[in-house]
Amino acid sequence: MRVFFEQLVNGVTVGSFYALVALGYSMVYGVMKLINFAHGDLFTLGSYLGYTFLVWGAAWITERAGLWWGVLGAILFAFLANAGAGILVERVAYRPVYRAGRLPLVVSALGMSIFLQNAIMAVWGPRFQVYPSDLVPVASLRFLGLSLPLLKVVILFLSLGVMFVMYWIVEKTEFGAAVRATALDREMATLLGIDVQRVILFVFTLGPALGGMAGVMNGMYYRSIQFSMGWNYGLKAFTATILGGIGNIPGAMVGGVLLGVIETLLAGYIPGGGAWKDGFTFLILILVLIFRPTGILGEKVAEKV
Amino acid sequence: MKSRRLVVFLFLSAVFFWGQVFAEEPIRIGLQAPITGSFAIEGQMARQCVEVAAELINEQGGILGRPVEIIVADDASNPRDSALAAQKLISQGVVAAIASYGSSVTEPAADLYERNRVVCVAYGATAVRLTMGKERRYFFRTCGRDDSQGEFFARFAVETMGWRRIAIMHDNQTYGKGVAEETKKYLEPYIREGRAEIVYYDAITPGDQDYSAALTKLRESNPDVWYYTAYYPEAGLLVRQAREMGITVPFVGSNAVPNEDFVRIAGLEYVVGTFMTQEPLPQDLNTPKAQEFFAAYRAKYGDIPSSPWPIYAADALFALAQAIENAKSTKPDDIAQAMRTMENAEGITGPIVFTERGDRKGVPYAMYRYNEKGQLELFTP
Repeated sequence: MRVFFEQLVNGVTVGSFYALVALGYSMVYGVMKLINFAHGDLFTLGSYLGYTFLVWGAAWITERAGLWWGVLGAILFAFLANAGAGILVERVAYRPVYRAGRLPLVVSALGMSIFLQNAIMAVWGPRFQVYPSDLVPVASLRFLGLSLPLLKVVILFLSLGVMFVMYWIVEKTEFGAAVRATALDREMATLLGIDVQRVILFVFTLGPALGGMAGVMNGMYYRSIQFSMGWNYGLKAFTATILGGIGNIPGAMVGGVLLGVIETLLAGYIPGGGAWKDGFTFLILILVLIFRPTGILGEKVAEKV
Repeated sequence: MKSRRLVVFLFLSAVFFWGQVFAEEPIRIGLQAPITGSFAIEGQMARQCVEVAAELINEQGGILGRPVEIIVADDASNPRDSALAAQKLISQGVVAAIASYGSSVTEPAADLYERNRVVCVAYGATAVRLTMGKERRYFFRTCGRDDSQGEFFARFAVETMGWRRIAIMHDNQTYGKGVAEETKKYLEPYIREGRAEIVYYDAITPGDQDYSAALTKLRESNPDVWYYTAYYPEAGLLVRQAREMGITVPFVGSNAVPNEDFVRIAGLEYVVGTFMTQEPLPQDLNTPKAQEFFAAYRAKYGDIPSSPWPIYAADALFALAQAIENAKSTKPDDIAQAMRTMENAEGITGPIVFTERGDRKGVPYAMYRYNEKGQLELFTP
């Protein structure tokens, strides 16, 4: 039972990273009906920006204000810088082809993904980069006989917090209503006086920003980062998005955490399951697409009418 | 200007001198190596090693009384240039070629040498399929095969260390799975005798970052030793995450694990004390041939080679020299036949004997261990 509980915690940790990345996918899809393939690479970009910040700037903050402020600074820096990168990507790769239809948009996103990945390799090099270990806190909590690294707990709660803030913005505020209206029917929203361009910019800023935040937390947690790691995370987050119901924020959260837990339990309990883990994961994706294309939580069909 | 004239004079007199010692035409042997490209350092060391070996052979009277001449071709460590380099050597009429570093680079060249009936001796190509795939009559290698370290590990773990409960982890790719399966195979006799037990045997997914699920399972299997048979990025993450979870079981990595990035990713504090099964490093070789060779190499380049692979290139030349000597012929078929049957070739890494398929018999592996400075040290229990 203790082992099962431990595997559950492992799964939720992996899942919360998937969920953070999935949020960005889901928001962009909800509003634009676009699968943003560049999202995984924006995640990588965030982890590299956070790394650079920690290496160059955090020592200064850490000396004056303590370890956690350096960490917080790196997360904030990656969040903001990635928001900027998101705006740039939208301007360069998406805005010129909005009117051309969905397919050119998807191809443009794929191109952006390849460009970003190679740009990261050109700037930071193809080797693994390792987050400096003296700048990341290593304290542990003891809980029900388990030893949990404090950073794990912080990351878990931070990502949960971010998700609830997101949920609140989209479901409870006036601007959120505008976002939802744009997602439902862009032309009608324009006619009603909603600044659709602003809504689009909002999702393309917040999505990458959240991805960047996930990237830097991922880097702190696992220490080593590489230019091509975004592809794998992108695929997993995409699966999580489908699993939870694409275009639906609580769905992305549930899907991400669920996917992490399923993966972990498969690797932990099926004999030889480690080798088949990704096979099962994508089998789930296929099954969901066949039998329940709207995902677990589904789209709110009633609103569509 | 004067000095150039002196050089020309010395060169001519040297040629004249050689001409008197070796009245006969030289035996041409090709060396195909990555002189440029991402593995340029390996290629350049291979050239230096082969040239030093050729000098040693020539000093001792050459092969069949004829001098050896080395012709170098650069394959830049990519398969396309590899075919071009092989063409170049074949058209220059080499009787045999030493080629090359890396399995995927060696493969297209090996096909060309095979078609043109030129003996090819690989020095840094360890993929199993090179000898166990389609049959090649002119292909040999002085380095080991990916899976032969499984045999070494099994013997070392049970007989030397007395580890009973063995965990084997791989990454489900050709190399990693090959070593893991071979290890399992060689553990079987010990398992039947009740001296060993495989308590964990599973693959992880390469490219993942979180291995806590696999590691929790590993810890529950309560092993005496944990053998990881794949590449360094995952190995680094695994070692770090395991130690952070409080798993202290001895870690043994296969020969694709130890390098600088492994130490960086895992962190020096966790790397210290980890074991590695791998080819003996040059500084740990002490056969008579090794002493002779390293003395000559050091006199010329100041230090011994830093990588194990160029040594196998020099050994390829020593093997070829002995085979030609035994065959008393430079015809490819005679050389290939002599390579298969010879038992008297002495190399830097020990006696060089080949199997029917061209693999080296009894390739020495050694157990290494990381010390406090993050350097590999030969481990003696």
